[in-house]
Amino acid sequence: MQRVTLDGLADYAREVLAACEAGAGNFPLQSRVELPGLSIDVYSDHGELAAALGHGMATANDAGRRRPARIFLAHPGIGSVPTPAQWGEALFNPQAFSERLEADGLRGHYFHDLRYWQFYDVEKRLGVQLMLSADGCPPWEFGAPLRCFLHWEYAARGMRLTHAGTLGAGGRGVLVAGAGGAGKSGTVAAGLLAGLESVGDDYVLVEFDGDRSVARPLFTTLKQDHTGFDRLGLASRLPDPGPLNWQGKYQFRVQDLSPGGVAEKLDIVALMVPRISSEAKSAITPISRRDALMALAPSGIAQMPGERESGFRFFGELTRRLPCFRLALGRRGEEIAETIAAFLDGGKP
Amino acid sequence: MGFSSIYAVSGSDIVYETFDGDAVVLDLASGRYFGFSDSGSCVWEALIAHVSPASLVGRDCGSGVIAADDLDAFIARLGEYGLLSPAAEVAPTALSPELAARLAAARDGLKIDMHDELADLVMVDPIHDVDEPAGWPAVRQ
Repeated sequence: MQRVTLDGLADYAREVLAACEAGAGNFPLQSRVELPGLSIDVYSDHGELAAALGHGMATANDAGRRRPARIFLAHPGIGSVPTPAQWGEALFNPQAFSERLEADGLRGHYFHDLRYWQFYDVEKRLGVQLMLSADGCPPWEFGAPLRCFLHWEYAARGMRLTHAGTLGAGGRGVLVAGAGGAGKSGTVAAGLLAGLESVGDDYVLVEFDGDRSVARPLFTTLKQDHTGFDRLGLASRLPDPGPLNWQGKYQFRVQDLSPGGVAEKLDIVALMVPRISSEAKSAITPISRRDALMALAPSGIAQMPGERESGFRFFGELTRRLPCFRLALGRRGEEIAETIAAFLDGGKP
Repeated sequence: MGFSSIYAVSGSDIVYETFDGDAVVLDLASGRYFGFSDSGSCVWEALIAHVSPASLVGRDCGSGVIAADDLDAFIARLGEYGLLSPAAEVAPTALSPELAARLAAARDGLKIDMHDELADLVMVDPIHDVDEPAGWPAVRQ
C-alpha cells in the first residue's frame, strides 16, 4: 500500500487531482451545486453522500456571478481512481500538514481511520475527496457535504464559513455563536417555528460588504436531539423525522420546518452568545468583545483544516464590527423567539 | 525570563487581537486561547512593544501600582505558555501615554486565563494519539 508523509504530500495530492480530472467521464453522476458566488460541478457515485448533496445544500439566486469549481467524490470503484494511500510512520501534525500543502497552492485534510483524503487546488478550483467507497466518509459529512472545500474556497476570497446559527426578520439578523450544546440549534429551530428566517443553524457563510456583515446559507440541514425535538414540539411538523444521525440527533431541513424560512441573506446586526438558563424569560445583555470572540472563534477554527490565522483575524474583525450580547435562554422556545424578534424589531435588548 | 530582558511574541504561531482594551491571544500550533484581565492586556501589549519590564514596576495600575513580584510571575506565566520570549538585540521602547492611561484605569490585577477545551482538535496527532477502538476524535489518555 502506498504510504505518504509530509515529504511526498504535495506530489501525492497532485497525482490524485490529476487522476480524477483525467477520468471525469467515468464518474456515474454529475450534479451542480449553486452557492453564493460559486457553481460547483460535483462528480460522484450513487449513494448516501450523493443524496445528501441533493437535499442538504442551499441554492443561491445570484446567477451570472458565480465562479465555477469542480469537485470529485472519488473511490477506487470508479474508473482508474487510485486506492487511497495511508499515512506513513511519521507523526501526523495537522498544522504542518496544512502548511506543506499551502506552500504548493493546495489545501487538504486527512482522516486516518477511513483513509479519507481531501485535496483542493485553490487556483484551479479543483477538489478531490478520495475515499475507500462511495460513502466512505466520516459521518458528519452527510450533514454538511463539501464543507472543507467550501471553507478553503471562500477563505481564499476573504469570506468565511462561520460556526454559528442565525435568525432574522426583514433581511436583518443575528449570529448565534457558541460551542456545541450551548443552544444554537434549538434557538434557530424555535425561531423558525415562530416565523423568523435563518440562513443556517451550524455553518453559514459570512462576508464583509463595506460596513455590512452579510450571512448567506450554504446548508439547509437542522439538527435536534430527542429532548430538544420533544421540547419544541417538532413531531407535529415532522411526523417522520427519519433515523438519528451519528450524534444521536434528528436531522431535517429548514424547509421542512418552515417553507419560507431560508433567507437568501441576512445583514447581521448583532452577535449573540447563548447560554441555557433556568429562568422563565430570556434575557439579552451586553458582553465584552473578548468573551464574544472566545465563543465564536475556537470551534470555527478548530473544526476546519488550515486557514487558522486568517480565521482568527476574520472572526476578530467580525466581533469588532458587531454589538455583542449574552443570550440567556428562557425555558420556552416561543418566548426565546419572541425575545429575538423584539430585539430585531427594536435593534436593542 | 526576568526584568533584564526585552521581550517579543514567541514566533508566528502566536496571534492576537485587542478589543476595547481586552486582548485575546491564540496559539495556532496548540489551539490554546488566552484571555487577559484589563491590566494584563496592557502589560501584554507593552511587553510585545518592547517596553522593558523594569520600567513597568511601580506604574499606576488601578488603585495601586504594579508590584515587581506580580509582574515577574505574570511574565513567567507568559513564558510557560509559550507566548513570550526574550528578544535579542532589540532596543527598549517607552510605554505609550495611551497604554499608561489604560493601565492606570485598570480594575483587575495581572491575570491570564488559558482555554484549551478545543486544543485536542487542533494539536493532537489524530493517527497516533487516538483511543482504540473508538477512533478520532476520542483521544488516548
